[in-house]
Amino acid sequence: MTRGADQPNRTIRLSSRLTVAAVAGLLGVLAVGQLNGQAGVPGLSNLSATELTQLIANLTTGNDQLRDEIAELGRQEQHLADVKNRGETTVGELTSDLDRIRAWAGLSAVRGPGIAITVRGPIGGDGVEELLNELRNAGAEAIAVSDVRLVAGVVVAGASGSLSVGNQAIGETFEIRAIGSPQILTGTLTRTGGVIAQVGATYPDARLTVTPADSMTLPAADGNLLPTYAKPRL
Amino acid sequence: MTTLVARFRGLPSVQVTLAIALLVLGFLVAAQIAAEGPRIRYSTEERSPLIETSLGLQTQQEALKAQILELRGRIGALEAADPGAADSLRRLYAQLEDARLASGLIAVTGPGIAFRLQDGNAGVDSRVTARDVRTLIEELWLAGADGVAVNGERIVGASAVIDIGGSTLINSAYLAPPYTVTAIGPRDLYDRMLASASFVQFVQTRIEPAGIELGVAELETADLPAYAGTVNLRFAKPLGSEGPP
Repeated sequence: MTRGADQPNRTIRLSSRLTVAAVAGLLGVLAVGQLNGQAGVPGLSNLSATELTQLIANLTTGNDQLRDEIAELGRQEQHLADVKNRGETTVGELTSDLDRIRAWAGLSAVRGPGIAITVRGPIGGDGVEELLNELRNAGAEAIAVSDVRLVAGVVVAGASGSLSVGNQAIGETFEIRAIGSPQILTGTLTRTGGVIAQVGATYPDARLTVTPADSMTLPAADGNLLPTYAKPRL
Repeated sequence: MTTLVARFRGLPSVQVTLAIALLVLGFLVAAQIAAEGPRIRYSTEERSPLIETSLGLQTQQEALKAQILELRGRIGALEAADPGAADSLRRLYAQLEDARLASGLIAVTGPGIAFRLQDGNAGVDSRVTARDVRTLIEELWLAGADGVAVNGERIVGASAVIDIGGSTLINSAYLAPPYTVTAIGPRDLYDRMLASASFVQFVQTRIEPAGIELGVAELETADLPAYAGTVNLRFAKPLGSEGPP
């Protein structure tokens, strides 16, 4: 008799547990969905259609450059493997790779077409850095300010009248030279509302002149640029 | 009141648990529906395919960068293998490794610092801009940093930081706030920054008035990734290697 009375209670307890388990499972799924929903597409949904189009153009160009790099690296790997298989020395390949990396990194002097921006008058380091950032964005491959080659870590800083690049003081008249496509660099800098106009508005007493050049030589950066505190991650 | 408490205590624990769980469930369902709102709105506008295209391109970019790092690793291994007895070849390989290290083509580790820049709550003016990120990077360089990365993008000589809406593009990679700017440098890197008039001015005249959140952590070990972009030069030729005019 006692066993018979316990049976329905057990059934009720079991069904209650199953219900709680089902609700808990649903809760888990919803919580994960909620978290994923918040983590997805950070920032993209805040962009306007124009900004998204600009982003797509940038990503497309960037990806094309990456594909070119992959193709070049693929050729380089194949050539290196062939040379090794033939038992020949790899001096030529290593030298060529070294020349390419040193030129890109600013460790060796380079020559090519580009533009020169002549700055006359008072301008702050922030204004010059705006110009340099736009040059990099427009594809400048090498830049020098007052004949100091710019590499990672070299900054143009200071207030108007006390500018310096690296540890070198520069006056109120100096030249920024950049190697790259003269048409693209000139067009990007001088377009309506572009960086030349913006910097000109911030520093109205500074005169900025952009001149394309068929060929220019930029010096190598000073020193070996090896990091002091950063070590290769193995 | 005493009766109510007694009745509540008399409820089976399973029912109480179930009631709480259902309450939370209701809250989550409501939150989920609210979160779906903007997406439904976007799907009816022209932005939806643009967002999808952007996401696809970003995924492609990540895969391409991974491929570049893998290829560079394989080339490095081929160059390092069996350098032979010739000192000249070993010296050449050492120079190549130094050039890669100096230019950010190798992932590095060392003592460092990490800043976190996050949008404030005061609208457009308290958004972190590309210029804010650039200023912080410049201050790190001026204080003696050896290497810098932003949200996993290594900063090299060719890196531009540009605005795109409330986000930025660095090395052609789309980065959204919050921005983690990590640097390797001397152990007193942060003290040096605090002693820099331009960094203090940046914090006092831009970060604080705009309500931008700036956090900092000094790290025993900071890791910076290798630069995974292109190093091909189309216009600049190393001096002495130009072809015939």
